[in-house]
Amino acid sequence: MTPDNGAYATAAYVLVAVVYGVYVVSLKLRERRLRERLARLDAPARPAPSRAAGA
Amino acid sequence: MTSASEPTAPSILRPRRDPLLGVAIVGIALLYVRALAFTPIEARQGAAQKILYIHATSAIVGLYVAFGLMAVASLLYLWLKDAKLDRVAESAAEVGLVYTTAVLVTGPLWGKTIWGAWWTWDARLTSTLFLWFIIVGYLLLRGAVEEPGRRARYSAVLGILASLLVPFIHLSVYLFRTLHPMPIVLKPSAPSMPPEMQTTFFAGLLAFILLFAALLRTRYRLATLRDLVADRDQEHR
Repeated sequence: MTPDNGAYATAAYVLVAVVYGVYVVSLKLRERRLRERLARLDAPARPAPSRAAGA
Repeated sequence: MTSASEPTAPSILRPRRDPLLGVAIVGIALLYVRALAFTPIEARQGAAQKILYIHATSAIVGLYVAFGLMAVASLLYLWLKDAKLDRVAESAAEVGLVYTTAVLVTGPLWGKTIWGAWWTWDARLTSTLFLWFIIVGYLLLRGAVEEPGRRARYSAVLGILASLLVPFIHLSVYLFRTLHPMPIVLKPSAPSMPPEMQTTFFAGLLAFILLFAALLRTRYRLATLRDLVADRDQEHR
């Protein structure tokens, strides 16, 4: 008789989607953070705020 | 030698939508539909047999493709000392770890319903878990060594040693008395599966290979970007 164990298969497919999905998201987040950091490093240094400004 | 001077900042700064990743995700989605809805249920094992299409395919790509690539890139790095090869090895190791995690997560679900136990300390399972820990150690080592040349050299040696476990894992079912089933695809004779199941299996294998290529490319770009940031950091100091 064929066992009724569909829930195990469903759980496995869901878990695999979670494992790969979380990894893809982590790659994208890490890439975005690095890109922002690189943009900050490459940005020209801001001039020091003048004391007269806003006074 | 280990500098990330190859990519120019403007091109790598641009966020990219990777069509390969999109194709791979569609491929995995199609595999899910085909495996769960259009592939027959095996009479003795029931629906749990369908775990094979994501478990064994992830194992083949993770163990043989990813860790094989890690070993080849590590060997070539020790010879040529090219930072690109170190980045390939690092990327393959991390993506391979994700695939091995999927294997170790799905295996117990199959084992519980077929063997009646989530886990057994047999040679195949234990050596795969052992390799998983070594790769975690490999990635921790990379984070712990700051000098790029030394980091690449140490991790290349560890990567090569770790990959020696892969043939042992493959042969463990022949060398030891194990509960784990014998190979049904990677064996000298023809696959022992009905044609419909074979089609699903090989479609799944293709989808997971595509996903591996996409993840590897993204992870390699991340490593390049990180090295570029490290270089710029040095310049600013």
